[in-house]
Amino acid sequence: MAKPKSDLLQGTLDLLILKTLDLEPMHGWGISQRIQQVSDSVLQVNQGSLYPALHRLEEKQWISANWGASENNRQAKYYELTRLGRKQLTQETENWERLSGAVARVLGTA
Amino acid sequence: MALNLSSIVRFLFRRKAVENEIDSELTFHMDRQTEENIRRGMSPAQARLAARRTVGGIDQIKEECRDARIGQMVETTLQDVRYGLRVLRKNPGFTFMAIVTLALGIGVNTAIFSVVYGVLLRPLPYQQGGQLVVLHQQAKRANLLNVPFSAKEVFDYRDHNHTLESVVEHHTMTFLLLGKDSAERVQTAVVSANFFDVLGVRPLLGRTFVASDEAHDANAVLVLSYKYWETRHGGDPNIVGHVFQMNNRPHTVIGVLPSIPQYPSESDVYMPTSQCPTRSSAGFIANRQARMMTVFGRLKPGVPLVQAQADLSAIGHQMSDAYPDAYPKAYGYGIAATPLQEDLTRRARTTFLILLGAAGLVLLIACANVANLFLARLLKLERELAVRTALGASKARLVRQLLTESVLLSAIGGALGLALAPATVSLLVKFAERFTTRSAEVRIDGPVLLFTLLISLGTGILFGLAPAFASRRQVTDALKQATGRTTASRGRQRLRAGLVLAQVAISFMLLIGAGLTIRSFLKLQEVNPGFNPDRVLTMRLTANFTRHSQLAQLLTLSKDILRGVRTTGGVESAALTSNVPLSRRAIASGPGSTGFQIEGKPVSKGELAPLVDTTAVSDGYFETLRQPLLSGRTFTSRDDEKALNVAVINQTLARHRWRSEDPVGRRISFDNGASWIKIVGVIGDAKEYGLDQPIGDEVYVPVAQFGFAGNLVLRTALEPAAVAPMVRAALHDVDPQLAVDQVDTVEQLKEESVASPRVTAILLGLFALLALVVSASGIAAVMALSVTQRTNELGIRMALGAPRQSILYMVIRQGLALAIGGTAVGVVGALVLTRLLSTLLYATSPEDPLTFIAVSALFLSVATIASFIPARQVTAIDPLVALRQE
Repeated sequence: MAKPKSDLLQGTLDLLILKTLDLEPMHGWGISQRIQQVSDSVLQVNQGSLYPALHRLEEKQWISANWGASENNRQAKYYELTRLGRKQLTQETENWERLSGAVARVLGTA
Repeated sequence: MALNLSSIVRFLFRRKAVENEIDSELTFHMDRQTEENIRRGMSPAQARLAARRTVGGIDQIKEECRDARIGQMVETTLQDVRYGLRVLRKNPGFTFMAIVTLALGIGVNTAIFSVVYGVLLRPLPYQQGGQLVVLHQQAKRANLLNVPFSAKEVFDYRDHNHTLESVVEHHTMTFLLLGKDSAERVQTAVVSANFFDVLGVRPLLGRTFVASDEAHDANAVLVLSYKYWETRHGGDPNIVGHVFQMNNRPHTVIGVLPSIPQYPSESDVYMPTSQCPTRSSAGFIANRQARMMTVFGRLKPGVPLVQAQADLSAIGHQMSDAYPDAYPKAYGYGIAATPLQEDLTRRARTTFLILLGAAGLVLLIACANVANLFLARLLKLERELAVRTALGASKARLVRQLLTESVLLSAIGGALGLALAPATVSLLVKFAERFTTRSAEVRIDGPVLLFTLLISLGTGILFGLAPAFASRRQVTDALKQATGRTTASRGRQRLRAGLVLAQVAISFMLLIGAGLTIRSFLKLQEVNPGFNPDRVLTMRLTANFTRHSQLAQLLTLSKDILRGVRTTGGVESAALTSNVPLSRRAIASGPGSTGFQIEGKPVSKGELAPLVDTTAVSDGYFETLRQPLLSGRTFTSRDDEKALNVAVINQTLARHRWRSEDPVGRRISFDNGASWIKIVGVIGDAKEYGLDQPIGDEVYVPVAQFGFAGNLVLRTALEPAAVAPMVRAALHDVDPQLAVDQVDTVEQLKEESVASPRVTAILLGLFALLALVVSASGIAAVMALSVTQRTNELGIRMALGAPRQSILYMVIRQGLALAIGGTAVGVVGALVLTRLLSTLLYATSPEDPLTFIAVSALFLSVATIASFIPARQVTAIDPLVALRQE
């Protein structure tokens, strides 16, 4: 926990979840671990926002959920990207790139 | 937000399960985190504590998950409903108008639909009623569409067909039932033993008939109808086994029917064919032309009606070929099979579908009116909506909110309408009884409630959506109007004008429909029946025929009856007749048709003989009814069985067959010249079979030369109701076993004979009046709004010197333009639609110019008044104030 933490921008968590699930179906804990690992522990996913976000995305039918056996043979709720979610991911990724590019340019010139 | 039905269902029904899922999901997360912590070297207790710390408040998470789950759907709907109710409360005038209009519209539709559903649509309460068919023997060239069947014909169709599972017969007789306090006349249905099995009717008590009941030497048995058992035997649960005397034999009650509509007519009791003295006589069975029965059957499973029709027609042809005497070529004999459901409701169909259509139109007008009220209100809300849009409310969200409001209104209107419906339904059922025995099945139940729910929601969406979509607006424009006053967008103005135009057009069509039926009814009332019905009392008499089986006994009975009644106080004159003019029976059965022959004009074989209706009347009949004698003489007491056979004919027959010659003294024969009857008089035409029916050829014969005629007609000196008990007493003195019923005055019968056109006219008139009021208020509301909106413009006009008068006219002109436009559309629509009415109209063309002119004049004057009232506000405008509003 030495590295400084970054607060997630609103809407960014959704993008991260979608991206994570693009690789393979995953349960909530796995998603938080994966994001933490990949971001080299820069991005800490607060459980208090992770689960509501998962339920919200499921409601929007971007992801779907199934109960399945986990690595250690326990019942876990696995989330999976839907077709709608995949489309959304492409769109959100583009948005993000445009936004971060713009922010980078502004920072670069200032 | 998309309407996610599954998540709402989940929310409503799987609340608990969803809650558990969230629980186990979070527990799993905690456990994994704890394991991970242990792996990193913490003690289990430490690990668990750390895990809990990273997770944070579990209940908080759950709450947030729940929020995400339930979705905004339910939450925002509740918000909308709350908001909608608040808005409706804040605009009591608007709310009241809208709810009353809708409640009337929906109530009327619910009531009429419940009757239409019960009578026309509800499946028959018989087992697989769709397979039941009615057979009609027809002689098309003689214009007879419903010839009864003889026993031989029943057997032929029953035994030779390949498409019907079973064929049963039915006819009715009236017998005297003895064994209660007084002799009671019972309407008796005589049926095949398997009659109830074919219908699939199970008895409420006891059993129905079995094949052995129909055997010649079987004991006589009776099945009682539910209504007769209820009303005449007090629903006695021990009635089975009870013995009554009928036709001089003991009859044992074996069962009671459930409460179902009886086909083809309501009867008191049922007996097998072997018990009817007429039907079981050898002479009747052997005579192919003794036709009396109704026949129907059940289609074999999977056999379509057309195939059965072809099969039966083939049998009909074989019969015609085998017995040419019984089926004269000139008559064009044939057979038709009709589904029972259609046959039961044929007479009700047109009237009720027209009423339902009219009610639907009333609802449409109500809808248009509420839509207009909505639009007007929306105009005031424009800035509010614009501000909300600017603050990020999506168009869909606003539309949804408006729809919630309109559906709320229509739901309240629907609930009120439903409360109004039962009172109306009971009136309508009485009305429907005149058309069909199915009226007993009318009630407000599931399908009717579903209908009400659907039309309530439908109308709510219809009048909510129209204005919502017309509010496609530029937010900036609305916000720029600093004063909050906006000009109506062109599209919206056009929509409002269109709504009023449609209202006017539809109301106009309804008014025309009502106008035509009312005019037709008035014409019907003015019809001269050809006799004077004032103070004429009539009653039906049934003698115990087993005691008066000989003609001579019946003749004596007739004479005794007439002598006894004529000497009763208050009776001016009395006579017997086989047919009471305008009675229910006469109207239901219509004139009979008997072939006859005119002396000197023999009918060649196979040619269609001239047909007449015959009525047996006693002396004094024409005098009692005051039917005018045109030439010759009427009957006297000397025209009896010992005298020469004589007849009196009506004027129509005289003109039809003798043209300018005098028929008095000519002779006719009803038995191919075996015996001749001399015409002694010509009498004025009488509308005996319905005021709306054309007068046919009629022959009257004396009762004394015919047998017995069971209806007494009396002209009374006093109020007929006061005389009736005295007459009853006199009849009891003549013969205590004489059953007396159906005591009516002919005046009552005449009134009743036009009851259904009267009710139709009243109902359509009420609908049209409702439509007129609603659309007049629609015109007034639109004009009022337009004046308010144009206050500024009108102020400028006035400031520039336009006289108030001309501005007043301008506004009225605008209102009238709408009315005239709508009327023009209405005329075209009415010309198309009123053709549907033509079968209900008497001596009135569906394009009756007088009705069209009168209705147009009425409509335009109402429209003028409706636009004048708001236009008067114009004169109150102060140009200075109006301009300062800027």
